Amino acid sequence: MVRQYKYEPHLFRRYKEERDYFSFLSGILAQDPDPISQLSREITDITVERYDQIMQYAEEGKPFIAGYFCAAPEIYEAMDLPWYMIMATPFLAASAPYLLGDIDGAEAMGLGTDWCTACRLSLYYIEAELTPKPWALIGLIHPCDAGNLLHQSVARNQKWRDVPIFATDPPYFEDQRSIDYFAGELRRMVAFLEEHTGHKLDLDRLREVCIESNKQYELWAEYAQLRRAVPCPHGWGIGGPQCFAAVQVFQTGKPRGTQWLRNLLANTEQRVKEGVGTIPNEKIRYFWFDLLPFGWVFEFLPWLEEEWGAVMVMEMFGFTPYTPIDIRNEDTIFKGLAKRNLYDSPMVRQARGPADYFAADIVRVVKDYNIDCVIWPGHMGHKDGSASTGIMREICNELGVPYIHIGLDLFDKRYTTPDECKDKVSKFFSAMGLG
Amino acid sequence: METKLKSQVLQQFQEATRSLVNPELQKWKDQGGRVLGCYCSYIPEEVITAAGCVPFRMRGTGSTSTELADACVSLINCSFIRHSLDLGLRGEYSFLDGCAWVNSCDHVRRIYDHWKRKIDTPFVHLLSLPKKVTEPQVEWYREEISLFKDRLGFHLGVFISDERLWKAIRLHNETRQLQRQLYELRKRKDPPITGAETLAVMVAGTAMPRQEYNELLRELLDDLSRAEGHTDYRARIMLIGGILDDPRYIDVIEDQGGLVVTDSLCFGSRTMWRDVDENASDPVTALARYYIADRPSCPRMFGDHLRRSAFVKDMIRDFNVDGVIAERLVMCDNWTGEQFMLGEDLKETGFPYIRLDREYLLTGVGQLRTRVQAFLEMMGR
Ligand code: SF4
Ligand code: SF4
Repeated sequence: MVRQYKYEPHLFRRYKEERDYFSFLSGILAQDPDPISQLSREITDITVERYDQIMQYAEEGKPFIAGYFCAAPEIYEAMDLPWYMIMATPFLAASAPYLLGDIDGAEAMGLGTDWCTACRLSLYYIEAELTPKPWALIGLIHPCDAGNLLHQSVARNQKWRDVPIFATDPPYFEDQRSIDYFAGELRRMVAFLEEHTGHKLDLDRLREVCIESNKQYELWAEYAQLRRAVPCPHGWGIGGPQCFAAVQVFQTGKPRGTQWLRNLLANTEQRVKEGVGTIPNEKIRYFWFDLLPFGWVFEFLPWLEEEWGAVMVMEMFGFTPYTPIDIRNEDTIFKGLAKRNLYDSPMVRQARGPADYFAADIVRVVKDYNIDCVIWPGHMGHKDGSASTGIMREICNELGVPYIHIGLDLFDKRYTTPDECKDKVSKFFSAMGLG
Repeated sequence: METKLKSQVLQQFQEATRSLVNPELQKWKDQGGRVLGCYCSYIPEEVITAAGCVPFRMRGTGSTSTELADACVSLINCSFIRHSLDLGLRGEYSFLDGCAWVNSCDHVRRIYDHWKRKIDTPFVHLLSLPKKVTEPQVEWYREEISLFKDRLGFHLGVFISDERLWKAIRLHNETRQLQRQLYELRKRKDPPITGAETLAVMVAGTAMPRQEYNELLRELLDDLSRAEGHTDYRARIMLIGGILDDPRYIDVIEDQGGLVVTDSLCFGSRTMWRDVDENASDPVTALARYYIADRPSCPRMFGDHLRRSAFVKDMIRDFNVDGVIAERLVMCDNWTGEQFMLGEDLKETGFPYIRLDREYLLTGVGQLRTRVQAFLEMMGR
């Protein structure tokens, strides 16, 4: 049975504040004629549009869902279901002024301090009714324990107990049997969504979405190749995270997203041709092997460029080799979606399975991108990554490239302060003779 | 609290928790027997028994530092894996002929990666354990168990026939039935065995040849049926959590007067509350169904929280429990989530509940004592 929820505007106050925050950013970027600012503005614009769409659907009583980038957003698009990520809230608005207060609010709920801050915040927003309640929820039970337990906690939370939930079960290794099984999980997800939203999946529409998203991934891959240039044409401010936002979240299988990637590519090609780097004097090319430190990104990453001439050439979300989906028939489409969402999707691809998978990424990125050092930020939520720090160090030793494990919280700058991080990294660069 | 018995069998079990290799296991090894380590209670131990080996649940017993492990993992990893990896790196697990994992949690699954690279054990295997408990997952795990069976059999040069598997299933079911009888005695107003002693009995069962263990356990049950019960307690406690293998932790609780009468622990009731179905069509399917769908699940299993919560509530009723203590190893996300959810469930019923953090080695005894005392007082005991 399809449910309906009655919405009171105060029920997603934080969500609206986030929308306003992005709208504000768009306004600032609009005034800057620099082409990179314009590329960024397009991303903030599509972000605002999704927020608006979700709020409008909520108010008008039309079905929308909460889902995930690694749980086949191509399907949500083909089913005409607007969606948002409950865990995106802490990521997207991480530099907003209320973040630290919200973290304290989560702690007061009894969620402890060693559980991933993104999870604590997501649960807090639900408990405090700050985020829109969807018709149905696609839970995430990989790549980490924290995400799995977050979604179980959401399912039992008093406020969302009536929201039907489904999660796709992730196999651990990469092989054909796992792809077949995960394709079955995606089919079960479709059945669940059809039941709880009343929207049906049309195979021809799904094929169209996959054709368009295949184009997007091809452009993204070309862009990733261009970042191999010395000097690197773009820094931390534009690149993988924006491609991810366009292709996997806000513009999956939509021509506007494809056009944005073409524009990005054109800008990059020109810069490479002219030998223009993101900063005038690139001295250190680093691989940031995690998400960006959203909670204090503006305090740390520009400093690395200015103080050390250190450029983020690649990060976890940018290095995601994709396989095009074979659109011949339903079977090939679902298996293609399974492979893409399980083995290619960022973070899930590196962290879900054995350490060999992320080890292989380090080797390829270091070799292909002329990397001078690997930084493992070691977000406090990424327990599996920090449990592999010895393996990362050994791989880097074999490659002859310096490695540092910082140990921080991507959201809460009180955990390891930006100054402490700067100090650690400075000592590391000096000791390694970099910069 | 201590139980006085005629036979030495309880001491024998207690002894087995204080070291990795107990005399029974040593005897087995001396006779050429093989031992396979298991990093989680989701590993189908029956397959290992059917292959002619003793399944041994991995512990960090005897570890005093994590110096070697700390070069591999970090301080945001749980102290159990740091201690057990450290022992492995020091060669303390050289008595193992193989070791098996499932992707239990973000910490344990990485031990597999380090072990493969650094520790020379003839056979290592990781089964891909689903995170849900419905039919497609039973089928997936059936295939995983089948692959494990074939690989282990090939490695050992043993054909693990259905007949051997059924025999192992019956033997393990027998263990479970005997252990349930032990728990049954604890329902009494005057339980004849303490919680700490029970944990020792359960841990010993994961480190001994099965046949011998069952015989010793039968002897213990016989002895307990005539023993005097414990009445000198202030409250009846249920203990909930993950990998607790040190009875001394429970000793601290019981010394304050909180008699632990039942549990939901990785070395406790969750491993034996149900039997593998001996009437199923084939043994591998029976095992898959048992491990995925039938036995009480642990927090990593999505979509099963209500059943886990009901399991706890049933226990509270059946064992006449006055209060629940949920313990967790610091940095464990699975149990953070479960403690929170269970707390919310029990809050709705107003039942006394406390959450405690701990490290794998027994430290902070004074603080534990204080917290338990305060909890008992809060209950008016
Ligand atoms: S630990 Fe990482 S993957 Fe898991 S919820 Fe937190 S940020 Fe996401
Ligand atoms: S205590 Fe938690 S983190 Fe440690 S091994 Fe067990 S489940 Fe994993």
